Amino acid sequence: MTDLGLTPFLVLASFLFVCGVVCIATKRNAIGILMGVELVLNAANLNFVAFARFGPPSFRLEGQVFALMVIVLAAAEAAVALAIILNFYNNHSTVDVDRADELRG
Amino acid sequence: MLDFLLAVPGRLYVVATLLPLLAFTLLLLTGLMRRLSVGTPLHRILGGEQPRLLGALIVLAAMASSATIGVTNLQRFLADPAHATHDDAGLAARWSERMDWFRLGSLDTDPPPVFEKQRQENPHRKVPRTALALELGYRIDHLSAVLFAMVTVVGTLIVMFSIGYMKDERNAAVEDHEVEKQTPTVHRFHRRGRFGRFFLFLSLFCFSMLNLLIADNLFQIFVSWELVGLCSFFLIGFYYERPSASYAANKAFIMNRIGDAGFLVAIMIAWTSLGTLNIEEMKHRLRSPAADSHGKLDLAEQFVRVNLEDPIVDDSVKRYSLPAVDAEPGTHLALFPLAWEEADHFHGLGYKRSQDHGFEVPDVLTFTSYGAMPYWLFVAMGLGLFLGCVGKSAQMPLHTWLPDAMEGPTPVSALIHAATMVAAGVYLVGRCFALFAPEVLLVIAYTGAVTMFVAATIALVMTDIKRVLAYSTVSQLGLMMLALGVGGWVAGLLHLLTHAFFKALLFLGAGSVIHGCHHEQDLRKMGGLAKKMRTTALTMLVGVLAIAGTPFFSGWYSKDLVLQAALGFGLTHPQHIALFILPLLTAAMTAFYMFRLWFLAFAGAPRDHHVHDHAHESPLIMTLPLVILAAFSIGVAWGWPLWEVDHSLLAHALNHSAPSFLPTVYAHEYETAHHYHLAVGGAALLAAALGFGLAAIKYWKPRRAMVLGDIKPGTPANFLAKKWYFDELYDAVVLKPTVAIARFAGAFDKRPTEGTLAARRYDAATLDGWLNGLGDATLSAGRSLRRLQTGRLRSYILVLALTTAAMLAILTVLKT
Repeated sequence: MTDLGLTPFLVLASFLFVCGVVCIATKRNAIGILMGVELVLNAANLNFVAFARFGPPSFRLEGQVFALMVIVLAAAEAAVALAIILNFYNNHSTVDVDRADELRG
Repeated sequence: MLDFLLAVPGRLYVVATLLPLLAFTLLLLTGLMRRLSVGTPLHRILGGEQPRLLGALIVLAAMASSATIGVTNLQRFLADPAHATHDDAGLAARWSERMDWFRLGSLDTDPPPVFEKQRQENPHRKVPRTALALELGYRIDHLSAVLFAMVTVVGTLIVMFSIGYMKDERNAAVEDHEVEKQTPTVHRFHRRGRFGRFFLFLSLFCFSMLNLLIADNLFQIFVSWELVGLCSFFLIGFYYERPSASYAANKAFIMNRIGDAGFLVAIMIAWTSLGTLNIEEMKHRLRSPAADSHGKLDLAEQFVRVNLEDPIVDDSVKRYSLPAVDAEPGTHLALFPLAWEEADHFHGLGYKRSQDHGFEVPDVLTFTSYGAMPYWLFVAMGLGLFLGCVGKSAQMPLHTWLPDAMEGPTPVSALIHAATMVAAGVYLVGRCFALFAPEVLLVIAYTGAVTMFVAATIALVMTDIKRVLAYSTVSQLGLMMLALGVGGWVAGLLHLLTHAFFKALLFLGAGSVIHGCHHEQDLRKMGGLAKKMRTTALTMLVGVLAIAGTPFFSGWYSKDLVLQAALGFGLTHPQHIALFILPLLTAAMTAFYMFRLWFLAFAGAPRDHHVHDHAHESPLIMTLPLVILAAFSIGVAWGWPLWEVDHSLLAHALNHSAPSFLPTVYAHEYETAHHYHLAVGGAALLAAALGFGLAAIKYWKPRRAMVLGDIKPGTPANFLAKKWYFDELYDAVVLKPTVAIARFAGAFDKRPTEGTLAARRYDAATLDGWLNGLGDATLSAGRSLRRLQTGRLRSYILVLALTTAAMLAILTVLKT
């Protein structure tokens, strides 16, 4: 297997990140936003493991541990966020985030 | 305690000065307690609503004790054996003390040796500056000792007189009809009697005045100077419910502030340029030393003007040189060290003009080094000092406050505005005589001459008995200033002393007349009072004779000496002969208006029967001071032989403390004056006789119409009656523009409810517009920024992402 090097991974990660941000910024659906967040987190994960592989030797372990931690974090976050969305839907019969403006000043 | 006082007899003067202050404090505290204890038994003990006599007696006792000390100490001072031996150190040890009041910087225990010595070792060595300190101190010489006795004696007599004069103020309720007359809205005016308050201010004034006399430095004099001004303000405005009184008090205070600004400038110049405010030390710094070991006296005690030499030797040393004998005088004034070493006299200055020597001045001045100050700054210092005296002594152009000050009770006019405070300006000029440049002395002489003449002309037509005396005071003060300006130091200060006695007498006499006529001050309504008020009439006649310069009365001695000095100066400098002609004219006018006053009040037939019928002689407590003052007015300047003006004992005493350079500087003037002294005496006598004759013809038995007739507009008399339109001039030149500027400035800040519509618009367009605009802009900025906080997640993310992108872009650009 030929060695691809760091750059393709970083390009892919930034592509994923931009997709995630655009998704967060454009979606009105709360689930969609949650998906965007997952994309952003996974982009970060990709960066971590890429640097763990190609970066300086001291990053080897840390990068992988961080990636695992982010996966766990994303799962927890998804659980909490989905619970909020579910509650919001129960109260407002919608998951449109623009309708969540009761705390607006 | 007694040992402490007797160890240095000068300390008794401090005690005598502090006694009135003690009385003041006592009265102040009692009054405060009375005020706070309303409703308790203490209030009744302290006098209740009825003012008590006791306060006045305390002040009288304090003043009488001061007078006793003043007179006995004067005797002891004159008998001091050190005078005969010219033992200055002995005199200083017994009659002066100094202490630090407020020291700026550390005490220099080891003063550096004379700069010249140091310069030999190291030419560019910087000498540390001696620490400066504000000092408290007293120094008694003949001038202050004699004046101290005068002020305490006159003060005691006036306090005594006031107890009688102010007796109406001892009532619990006083009606002031003047208030009703002046303010149409008030119909009946009652107030509590202010007996205690009067004596309170009087005692504070006495303390300040005595402190002014014994002070040995300008700063202490300035403090007292302000205090006497303050007391004057309080006492002019004693009847402050009358608008005229409060106006006059303000006027006096403001006019004096103008002068005091000059005084303060002079103090600042002295502080920065000379490094000391002690008058003796200032003199030693400004004038060359009195004598030197080489016996060369041609420059002794004179101002030495030098030129700054080009090029400057070094950054830290400037070099000055004496100009050639017949060249222009130098641009700088040499300052001399206060501490000498015996052999070192004049070497630094190159005292012989034939040898071309200069002297060098280090950057950092000390008391022990030579120095130099620009000559114009020195002249400015003298002018500033004199400006203070102009304000206090009511000289032109600040003279307008003194006649208005007659709103105060008459004893105040006598004590403050005739005998003592207004004389303080003359006293200060005399005290600081050695510090005045010749140019300043000329200014002093001309200011005095013009003031004297103008005030005398106004006094010719005044009809208010106190205003005649007020203008007479202004005129006489001008005469004293003139005398000092032309070098007649003894003459001017002798006149100050004799004038204090006879003018206090005249004012108290006027007070007695006013008291007897139930507060009628208009000369046109008097007449024929001599039969009703025999003592007052006689004593006032003595005062009139004294001020007119009748032979053997005290005024004759001093006035003759002044005229002699003026003639000596006028003949030596023919371009200044006006300085002799003006006082001669004024002498005639003085005799005229004083006899006019006396004839109008006491001679002839009564013109207003209501006033005449109710007139009565004043009680003994008022006439006794008159008699005593009359005795002083006759004999205070006597000497033996009586008919020789030059042998006045008082003048001889004053001569002791005259600046020692006078005989050399004014040698020619004094010689001329002495040569013509008989002619001067004759001319003065003739002038006085002329004035008396005219007054007698016109006013001995005046026709009713002539006295009561109004002065027609357009005549010279009207011009004089309007006081040369000085008040109107100041009104137009100073007051109106000031008010206009204030209006203009005020227009910047009109509230929406104030002023005219135009003013408000103007304000809205300028200051308020800008300030409100600033506030409005902040508000609207906040309002529009609030919209950014939408609560929409998407816009936040967008901003976040865009900002991050922008920052990354900036970083990239910066990195390359």
